[in-house]
Amino acid sequence: MSEPIRILFVDDEERILRSLALQFRREYEVLTESDPRCALERLKNERVQIIVSDQRMPQMSGAELLAQAREIAPDTLRILLTGYSDLDAAVEALNRGGIFRYLTKPWDQQEMAFTLRQAAQIAARQLQAPKVSAVTPQAALNVLLLDEDASTLDVVAEFCVAGGHRLLRAASLSDAVMLLNSQPIDLLVSDLQVAGEDTAPLLKSLAQAHPRLLSLVVTPFCDTQALLKLINEAQIFRYLPKPIRRGLFDKGLLAAAEQAQIWRAQPAQVVTRLAQQPREERDREKVGSLLGMLGRLRERLIA
Amino acid sequence: MTTASALTRLLKPVSPLAADMSIADVADRLLTPELKAFLSLPIVDSAGRPLGLVSRTTLQDIFMQRFGRDLRGRHAVQEVMNAAPLVVSLDTSLEDAAKQITGQLQYPITEDFILVDAQGLYRGLGTVLDLLKAMEARIAQRNLVLRKALVELKESQAQLVQSEKMASLGQMVAGVAHELNTPLGYVKNNVQLLRELSAPLFELAEAQAALGDCLNDPTCDEARLAMALEVAAEARTKAAPELLLEDFTQLFSDTLYGLEQIAELVVGLKDFARLDRAMSEEVDLNECIRSALVIARNGIKDKAETILQLGELPRIPCAPSQINQVLLNLLNNAAQAIDGFGQILVKTWADDSAVCISVQDSGRGMPPEVLARIFDPFFTTKPVGQGTGLGLSISYKIIQDHGGQIRAASEPGRGTRFLIRLPRPQALPLQRSA
Repeated sequence: MSEPIRILFVDDEERILRSLALQFRREYEVLTESDPRCALERLKNERVQIIVSDQRMPQMSGAELLAQAREIAPDTLRILLTGYSDLDAAVEALNRGGIFRYLTKPWDQQEMAFTLRQAAQIAARQLQAPKVSAVTPQAALNVLLLDEDASTLDVVAEFCVAGGHRLLRAASLSDAVMLLNSQPIDLLVSDLQVAGEDTAPLLKSLAQAHPRLLSLVVTPFCDTQALLKLINEAQIFRYLPKPIRRGLFDKGLLAAAEQAQIWRAQPAQVVTRLAQQPREERDREKVGSLLGMLGRLRERLIA
Repeated sequence: MTTASALTRLLKPVSPLAADMSIADVADRLLTPELKAFLSLPIVDSAGRPLGLVSRTTLQDIFMQRFGRDLRGRHAVQEVMNAAPLVVSLDTSLEDAAKQITGQLQYPITEDFILVDAQGLYRGLGTVLDLLKAMEARIAQRNLVLRKALVELKESQAQLVQSEKMASLGQMVAGVAHELNTPLGYVKNNVQLLRELSAPLFELAEAQAALGDCLNDPTCDEARLAMALEVAAEARTKAAPELLLEDFTQLFSDTLYGLEQIAELVVGLKDFARLDRAMSEEVDLNECIRSALVIARNGIKDKAETILQLGELPRIPCAPSQINQVLLNLLNNAAQAIDGFGQILVKTWADDSAVCISVQDSGRGMPPEVLARIFDPFFTTKPVGQGTGLGLSISYKIIQDHGGQIRAASEPGRGTRFLIRLPRPQALPLQRSA
């Protein structure tokens, strides 16, 4: 018997809640809250698989709500739905709230339905999966660094030494693809520009070819639209603006290592990463060709 | 060097006199037309070093005495020369030369000045009049440069004011565009839902129409009627109109509300910009506050609760778009000064001579040294790239142009209050009944 998927919508505009409830009440068990504090209370007492929250609310920001929701119920799939393209909010929602998608208002009905269906599928698999034991062995991981910046190298190298991980470095996209094809990589730390090349298509391809690989993006660029795509289409794990803040970077690396170790230890564990197909034609083509180059890797994964 | 050449241009290569030349010969020399412009003639030693100047007036004084020429005409000129003449080095700048000459010159002006080279050798004479002319030209040139700089400064200032205006306008438009996304979100979704939900209703209507046709048709047999009845009953179950009524009512009313919201924002934008009338005779400042709040709402709503205490105000003449700009600036500043969630209190009232607006926040407040500078152009406490530092200085200028006053009081940790006073057109004297 399968438990119905429960979705909690949070928005200070009741009309948004009514509209969403009406749209999805037939497929899911829909809960709504107009006050994020009540939503958090609810999470403590009820099982909810998916949370969709507005960003700007008087009592609390959506990013804050999702970050706290993650503490209370880490298994929830968290989605931000906002009318404001706000870089800080997106960064916070990703880094602290670990969001599954960043959607914008006005939303596309089909796209929203599709996103929730994807989330619901992951949630359903999660419900069936055996619970993970709290103890995870400290496996050595393979970390691939795709950034020429010396300060990034310093932090990553130190992290690898401390954790007993193996550090691999690539100076270009093709180097990176070669390394990715020759050995299993657990963590990827990458800038968005490496040797004059855009690494976003690679990140997007990897999210599809290798959903267990966690990407941390370190970049001096701050473009909200680009970040949204990285969240939705590359399912990146962290977005860290350059110049790097040491504490934040260390925390991100540790969190990524912990996640990767859980996945290593428990092959049955459901991977909650599922990237959206790139929306733009050009992006899709690039990702497609990179996926071909990563073919061997995929074959090995299936085998 | 340009400064050296400035003095060179003043140099007149007058031939110097020997120290032993007779006074009579000097006088004759002075009478020659080419030396008419000079007040004095230079005297140098054999090496060409200047010894002194002999002035026209000295010789005139001698010759005006009885038998002056006969008694002293044969004497050497060095007996009557000024042995401490004005000597200026050619490499002196025009300004320094002028300073030196005006410092040493005595009334009445009876002599020129000697120009020497770096070795101190005589090179020529300079006249005070030429020096004055050169200085005059120099000053005129300076003035020209200054005037040009002033014009440029004014232009760039106007440009800055304009760019501040555009920046705040851009911010406002972006804010309103975002604000539109919320009602647009549910209005769009609702309309799509209404379309989906209404489809089975049309099917039901069609099935019932077919059933009606059957009933009205005498040739319709039992089987067809039974079929039509079944289809209609099925469509009815599927459409469940009794269940839809509530949803439809809600969807329609929410959609209409959303459209009104959108309309309000658009009207708000239009009211706010009011590009059509610069200066208006009868403006209700409470309306300005309301329209500024519509625009500022998105920046405020997650930062503060806004409390309005708007008193009854007489209409006053002012430029509403400018006043709106000031109000939006104050409201945005207030919201930005608040950490967490706070309060913004907007009050209006009128007294005998003025209409007053107070905007008070429960934000961080400012220390006195910051408060003292907030109206200064380019002063900002925001990080580089955020805020031009012109917002409040432009607000100040706008209120000043309206003949009003804007003041701020602040206490760190408690908040800031801005008070605007705009004069009433003709403050009627209070009618006191006897």
